[in-house]
Formats: sequence, C-alpha cells, structure tokens
Amino acid sequence: MMGTIEALINLMMADQVAIPLLDPILNILYGIPLLGYLLAFILWKPIFAGLVCPGFATLGVILMLFPWIERKLVARMQWRVGPREILPQFGGIIQLLADSLRFLFQEVIVHRDAKQPYFVQFPVLSFIPALLPLLFIPAGVIVAVKSAYGVQIILALVCLFPFFILGLGWASNSRFAYIGTVREAFMYFAYEIPFIIAVLAMIVLYGTSDPVAIAGMSVPGIILNPLAALTFFIAAAMATSRLPFEIAEADQELAAGPHVEYSGILFGLIYVMCYEKMYILSGLMTILFLGGGSGPEIAILGDLSGVVYFMIKTVIVMTLLAALRGVYPRYRLDQGLKIGWSSMLIMGTLALVISLAEVLIL
Amino acid sequence: MKKIVAPDYGLGETVKSHAAAIKVAIKEAILPQTVTSHYPGERRRMPDCFRGYLRFDPEMCISCFQCSFICPANAIGMREAPDNRYYPTIDYGKCIFCYFCLDSCPGGALKPTKVHDVAYNDVDEMLTPTCDMIDMPEIIREDERYVEYKIDEHDLSLERVKGLDDLAVELPELEKISMVSVCVAPENCLSCRVCEEVCESGAITSALDGDEIRMTIDTTTCNGCGLCVKECSMQVLRLVRREI
Repeated sequence: MMGTIEALINLMMADQVAIPLLDPILNILYGIPLLGYLLAFILWKPIFAGLVCPGFATLGVILMLFPWIERKLVARMQWRVGPREILPQFGGIIQLLADSLRFLFQEVIVHRDAKQPYFVQFPVLSFIPALLPLLFIPAGVIVAVKSAYGVQIILALVCLFPFFILGLGWASNSRFAYIGTVREAFMYFAYEIPFIIAVLAMIVLYGTSDPVAIAGMSVPGIILNPLAALTFFIAAAMATSRLPFEIAEADQELAAGPHVEYSGILFGLIYVMCYEKMYILSGLMTILFLGGGSGPEIAILGDLSGVVYFMIKTVIVMTLLAALRGVYPRYRLDQGLKIGWSSMLIMGTLALVISLAEVLIL
Repeated sequence: MKKIVAPDYGLGETVKSHAAAIKVAIKEAILPQTVTSHYPGERRRMPDCFRGYLRFDPEMCISCFQCSFICPANAIGMREAPDNRYYPTIDYGKCIFCYFCLDSCPGGALKPTKVHDVAYNDVDEMLTPTCDMIDMPEIIREDERYVEYKIDEHDLSLERVKGLDDLAVELPELEKISMVSVCVAPENCLSCRVCEEVCESGAITSALDGDEIRMTIDTTTCNGCGLCVKECSMQVLRLVRREI
C-alpha cells in the first residue's frame, strides 16, 4: 500500500508545474505530510491544467468576472454607467456574485407543459461540452490530455453545444422557446461549416492538429492566414450568440429565445453557458491564430509564464467578441443565414485555398 | 408588383463603414466623450448671472418694500426686525427665482449666489427668515472639481477643472442713484399723516402751525425709499433725484 502511494507521489513529483518564484514556499509545504501530497497532486501538470488553468478555477473566475467586464465595456462605449450599485468603490465588480446568489435562491419553476426530465437535465448536461474541451486546450506547456487530434476533439465537443440548446428549447415547450430553437438550428448550420473549414485551413497549414505543437509554432496563424482568422472570429461570434448574430435569443422579439421558460439556478447555468463557449472558442482562437502561450519568457514564473500569456490573449479575444455588442445592432435571421451561407463560406473556402497554396509553394 | 431590394453598397464601402463603426467604438471605449457631470463629485460651473439662492445684507437695506411689491409669486414678505425696521423674508416654496427683487432693490441689499441645491425638511422651513439669508447657506461640499461646458460649432464638449467653484457672486459696485421724496403740491395735502407713520427713517415730521398741521420732509435724513410716495392718498409726493 505504502509502496503504491510512494510510486504515485514520485510519478506526480516528476511532472510538476515549475514555479521558481514560489519554490522556497513549495519546498516547505511538500514536507508537510498530507498537505504535501495534496499540493503535489494539484501541481501535477495534467491535474493543474484540469483544475486550475485553463480548467475549472480559471473558468470560474472568467464566469464571475467576464459578464461584468462585458457590461462595463459596452456601457462605456454607449455612454452609460453599467453595473455600479454593488460594491460601488470598485465599479460593481461583484455584480455577478450577487446575480449568482439570486439565481441560487430563486425558485426553479418547471411549468406544467414542459417535458420535465429533459427540461431539468439539459442545462446540467450542457456542462459536458463546456468542461471537456478544456482538457485539450494547452496553456503554454500545461495541458491535461496530450492528443494528436486535440483540435478536432475540441471542435467536436464545441459543436455539441447547440444540441443542448435545441434540447432545452424543445423541452421548454413554449412558443418563444420554439421560435428561438428553430432560429438556433438555422444559425447552427450557417456558421458551423465555415467554422470547420477555417479550422481545417489552419490544420492544413500547420500540418498537425496537436494543440501543443500548433501553439509552439514560430509564426502566429493570424499572420499566415488572416482570412481564416477573420472567418473563425465571425463564426465564434455567431456560435456564442454575440450581438450582431444574437438571432436565437433576440431579447426584443423572443424574450430570451430557447431559455425563456427557465428560472433560478437552471437559468444561471444557461446564462453562463454562452460565456463558457466563448472562453473555449477564444482559447481555441488563441492556440490556432495567436500562438497560444508563446511570448517573451518570464523566468521567475517558470511554467506559469505560458499560462499568463495564454490567459492575456484569450481575454483579449473574449473582449473583442464582447465589444461587438457595443458596435452592431442585430441582423435578421435571413441576413444572418445569408452571411453564413455566402460570405463566410466563400471566405472560409478562400482561406483553405490560401493555406493549401502556402503549404504547396513554401 | 414592385420588389423592394436592399441597397448594395459594394465591398469597399461596406468594409469602410465597418471600420468607421469599430473606430468610433474603440475611441469611446478608451476615452468616452460623455457630457455628464457627476454631480456630488463635481459641480457644473454656473455663469455669474445664474439665479440661485438669495443672500441679504441688512446694512444696505433701506426697507423700501420694493422687493416685496414686485415679487410676482408673492414670495417675499416684510417682517419687523428687533430694530423696528422691516426686512424681507423669502418663502422658497413660492419663489420662482425670477430675480425681480434683486433687480429692483435700490440699495443693492439682495445679492445673488450660484447655490441651487438647498434642501428643507418640511414646507414650513422653506419660509426663510431674514437672519438665515445673511450668510451663505451651509453646504457640504463633496466636489473636487468643476465642469464647464463648451459649445463649439458642431458639438458640446466638457472641460473638467480642478478646484472649487466659488458659489457666492460678488457683483461690481453699482452706481447708486440717491432719491429723495418731495411734495409737489403742498396745497393739496390733507395732513393725514400717513406718510409720517409709514416713514422708516423719521424724515417726515408734522408740526401744529396755528390751526393747521404742516408736514415737513427733512431731505438729509430721507433715504428715498418711496414708501410715503406709495401711500400718499392725494398723490402729492414724488421721488426725485437728490440734487448734490
């Protein structure tokens, strides 16, 4: 028994996240019996990636802060104030904490017409495509699961999102949810194909689909193939229902689209779903087009320097996606479909052609 | 049937419009061009002609009642002070801030301020007695800077200046025209002695001369308030410029 634990600890200690800045403290903490084991477990690279960054903890922080950043930024663009009443000294930064507490204590109403088991299940199940892709996204050298087909797996899991939205829209059994769901389905097909083609263009260009290898490339993809980056960005805006393509949710027409019937913590889960998707897509964009966690090495942070660069780039991409809300009004469904099926499809195909040309010529 | 087609702007124009929209958004995100003044933290600098809360200087008042007579909202009442003179009180529940009182004041006793944010606990408190009008009202200043609006040719812009704006306005000294009351038709005087009663400065006296009462006006003590002119039932009194 002791031998097994010893072997496990040795396995973990061999692959620890190296942080020279914290080394003196860590060395003391490793000596403490139980805490040391726990620390060794958490700082084991695969677990660190899953639990801390880019995994669970970072996702939590993003979900707590990002809607606030979005609302503040858009408010600033539109000459408004934004959230302010809760902790006004810091500009209402804990607004989302207050919101989530409200969601938590609000009654969850499952109305009579709803298909009840699915109505309750789908918001919870939607966390599967939200959390699983994070295992394949590398932040610098830290990645939970190394896979040669990481990008495809992320893509496949991200493409699962709309099924859950369609599912909960169907389970709601309400006319607004129905219209929203149909719109979501339409938009899904409109953006999915250019989106996949844009990613395909990058895989063709790099010749590999291992996220760690792609992130380690010397020239970032946005310089190699800007058209693919643009296609990916617009498709990401469509996929996350950012404002020019907020067609499925369309507050003014459909109340809230597929999730109009939800309340309480179930609504909270759906509310953060689009931000989870945004985080994953921004992470994927950072890896494919912005060079992942590469940047000037910060010696004292060790392995964390890649994490820092990755997070900075991801948050910038997310901010850009959020800033669209302050710039554009919403497209109609037919306009959205037209953009997806014509302009973006052409752009994606051209991006693929550019990639092929670069691969063949260079 | 006529079909309505959306205008086609072409690729170049579309890209240009998108770029312009994004440029505006970035500009506003970095430095919003808002024209909102954040009131308790900063005040708008009002012009000197701003009509705000009124101050009163009893030294300059000649108790002529002009302010009370002219007040269109009937907000000014004259109350007798311990020194037996009458001074104005203002009911801010009625006051419409027309500043007719200040314009009509011959002595320059009423003074303008830029204070526009006085609060009262109840309606009765809004009737401000003379003693409260002498000093500036007590203000808790939370502002650290003042804001000035600048209107250029096309747009309104806002300029923030550090420092406190002085809310009291010091008017330049007015050239005073000294008036005096004279009797233009003494033969019509009824000797009713209303003018003597009404005179605050005691310039009008009556004396028994034989079997009739003769009124006299002492031009040196007369302060030209014009109350006797207003009250004279035979309208024989006039306010004229004092000859120096």
